[in-house]
Amino acid sequence: MYGGGNTFESAKFEGLENEDPQKLAEFEARIERGEKIEPSDWMPKLYRKQLIRMIEQHAHSEIIGALPEGTWITRAPGFKRKLALMAKVQDEVGHAQLLYSAAETLGKPREAMIDDLITGKSKYSNIFNYPAFTWADSCFISWLVDAGAIVNQLANARGSYGPYCRALDRICAEESFHLKYGHHCVIHMATGSEKQREMMQAAINRWWGPMMHFFGPPDKVSVHTEVLMKWKVKMASNDDCRNQFLDMYVPKIWELGLTIPDPNLKKNEDTGRWEYTEPDWEEFKRVINGDGPCNKERLAVRRTAEERGAWVRKALLAPKTEYVAPLA
Amino acid sequence: MESLDPRVSRLNIDENASLSPKAPLDQFGTFEVFVQLKEGKQYKHEGAVHAPNRDMAFIFAKEQFSRRLMCSGLFVVDTRNVFVTEYTEDTVNVYEKVADNADAQGEAQEFEFFHLMKRGKQHEHIGSIEAQSAEQALVMAKSEFINSDKPIYNVWVVKTNDILFSSEEDKVIWNTLPEKKFRDAIAYKAADKVKAFKIRQHK
Amino acid sequence: MNQTALKELLYKIADDQLILGHRNSEWTGMGPLLEEDIAFSSMAQDKVGQSHAIYQILHEIGEGEPDQVAFMRNAEQFHNCQMVELPNGEYDFSLMRHFLYDTAEAIRFDMLTKSSYEPLALLAKKIQGELRYHTMHAKTWIKQLGTATEESKSRLQTSFNELFPYALGMFEQSPYENDIIADGIFPGEEALKEKWMARVEEIIGQTDLKMPEVSEAKLGGRKGEHTEYLQPLLDEMSEVFKIDPTADW
Repeated sequence: MYGGGNTFESAKFEGLENEDPQKLAEFEARIERGEKIEPSDWMPKLYRKQLIRMIEQHAHSEIIGALPEGTWITRAPGFKRKLALMAKVQDEVGHAQLLYSAAETLGKPREAMIDDLITGKSKYSNIFNYPAFTWADSCFISWLVDAGAIVNQLANARGSYGPYCRALDRICAEESFHLKYGHHCVIHMATGSEKQREMMQAAINRWWGPMMHFFGPPDKVSVHTEVLMKWKVKMASNDDCRNQFLDMYVPKIWELGLTIPDPNLKKNEDTGRWEYTEPDWEEFKRVINGDGPCNKERLAVRRTAEERGAWVRKALLAPKTEYVAPLA
Repeated sequence: MESLDPRVSRLNIDENASLSPKAPLDQFGTFEVFVQLKEGKQYKHEGAVHAPNRDMAFIFAKEQFSRRLMCSGLFVVDTRNVFVTEYTEDTVNVYEKVADNADAQGEAQEFEFFHLMKRGKQHEHIGSIEAQSAEQALVMAKSEFINSDKPIYNVWVVKTNDILFSSEEDKVIWNTLPEKKFRDAIAYKAADKVKAFKIRQHK
Repeated sequence: MNQTALKELLYKIADDQLILGHRNSEWTGMGPLLEEDIAFSSMAQDKVGQSHAIYQILHEIGEGEPDQVAFMRNAEQFHNCQMVELPNGEYDFSLMRHFLYDTAEAIRFDMLTKSSYEPLALLAKKIQGELRYHTMHAKTWIKQLGTATEESKSRLQTSFNELFPYALGMFEQSPYENDIIADGIFPGEEALKEKWMARVEEIIGQTDLKMPEVSEAKLGGRKGEHTEYLQPLLDEMSEVFKIDPTADW
């Protein structure tokens, strides 16, 4: 599960004047033709750097994303929910595994990425720094956060880097059950008892802000963004993704008699765009920089998992393991 | 640390413990994983797992790559044991770049071939050749594939002995998906509930 | 066929699977490496799924709905052995328990494929594939860590010693043991224990680990006597369900 927004923020635009113009032209022509770039192909430094950054953040988002929902694994009500939630959270871990592999093909070892995660050096999707207070929160995440992620992932799956696209195809296929499961949960809550309904509404109220943040701040048009779009690294603007999400899911929320805590939310039928109150971008910045309700806990849990598993890895590590990046 | 997650609370994690990076080399090598979706189909590359050795790689690959899709067989090979040719593009067949002869010494053994037919897709198992080295195997394959209808963009060559195959005896492990409907989108239909709810609302 | 005896057998198997599946799911997202996290979760799901299938059989012969049975009983109404309810500890403990339990489970279900009680025989055949993977996984890990470093060996040995009396508790005899055997439903706990012991000794023999001294089995679980850990586990499991047990979640 992954949203846009935090990916391209602080990366400095490195000029392309140092790149070999002929190779660059061939590279761009290949993308233009719709062919994928594979790991051993020549690629501009900026392309490699931005891809590593993006895929790595995506992978971190999956592994950290397993935690807020994981909160409810041992408490899921009934067999059907228990099995589904176990399988869903497992998938998130599986997706992290796939994505780390894809990023590794670009030359950064998985352990280096995990190191950067647990030392707080690299980011992950901001939304997972919020707590899942009740079962209804986990329902919200399963349905709507996954829905948002799929909007992003489907766009990115049309990108130019072969290993990332292959990982995304697989992830999207697997996540189709997540979305249905999540929707199923929310429907049951919303059409259930008074208590269930209240729980669901409260969860929506809590998560709407972070959900709007999920797609990232409005894009600023810059040369940098243009290049990344030309190279098919960035496939859709944050606002377009947000709009697509609202278009697909707001009616489905309303149809269940649930409300969304934004009085200005409505679709402008003339423009086809949704109008809404801008979420608090100051809060977004604050949370992404470490000051959210759960940042500390999320990293501490991940760090502890790494530490508790260290003896296992140490025991099985052959004394002279030479690391090579996976092939594709 | 008091967490909303009882699993986490039980671990008594110190949230403020200092952040220390992991020990260097705290990392297993990778194994490439090939999956057969159906009896009789070609094996396809699906991805990689980190593992200390082949046996563990197999155990890991089985759940990572076959838990959600039909699968009838799997094999794993250490990434370092895959011989990779260069990549070509557009209309260029990579076999055009293969030399016409190769030095070869020692005993002949079997090599498995994997072709990439479309950039962005996976390598697919093509067959095997007996040769004295991967290079020689490529030379031997050249005549057969240089005139193929569609260009081949990349070839992986792997010594058959380096691959851990799923065994006949354990075939039963692939036969578990039908029991896991909870992993299928189709198990989550609720349109009736929504409809009934809307009717209730209108009354 | 003695229905009381049959139900007793079904309940203890289902309860074992549910509780251990639940415990193992606590590792999801926190495993020692990503790949193992995934594998261990699959096996936890298999266990919970298998328990559901058995509660379903029980339901068909007059017991409550699986959800009600699993989420609404108290500890003293559970028939699982005590081993499965113990807290997870570190990975060595969870892994050793997984090995000891799944080795027995695979033999038990293998025996049940020949059960005179058809629904059980059918289920046993259906889950053979899952169980084969579980024992393959357990055996591979125990062999590897059991021959690796001083630390890994000593961790496994300590967990093994600690778990052994609880593992013997898996084979606590039922008051209906003779009926179950006579009716051809199941060859009995003693027969299972014998095969299990031989299998465990065989695999441990391929490692640097030692079989623990024979000790007294921790019994009582099958009669509803449990450690202090089971009730809190059940409270946690049913926390949401009990907000409204009649609700459709």
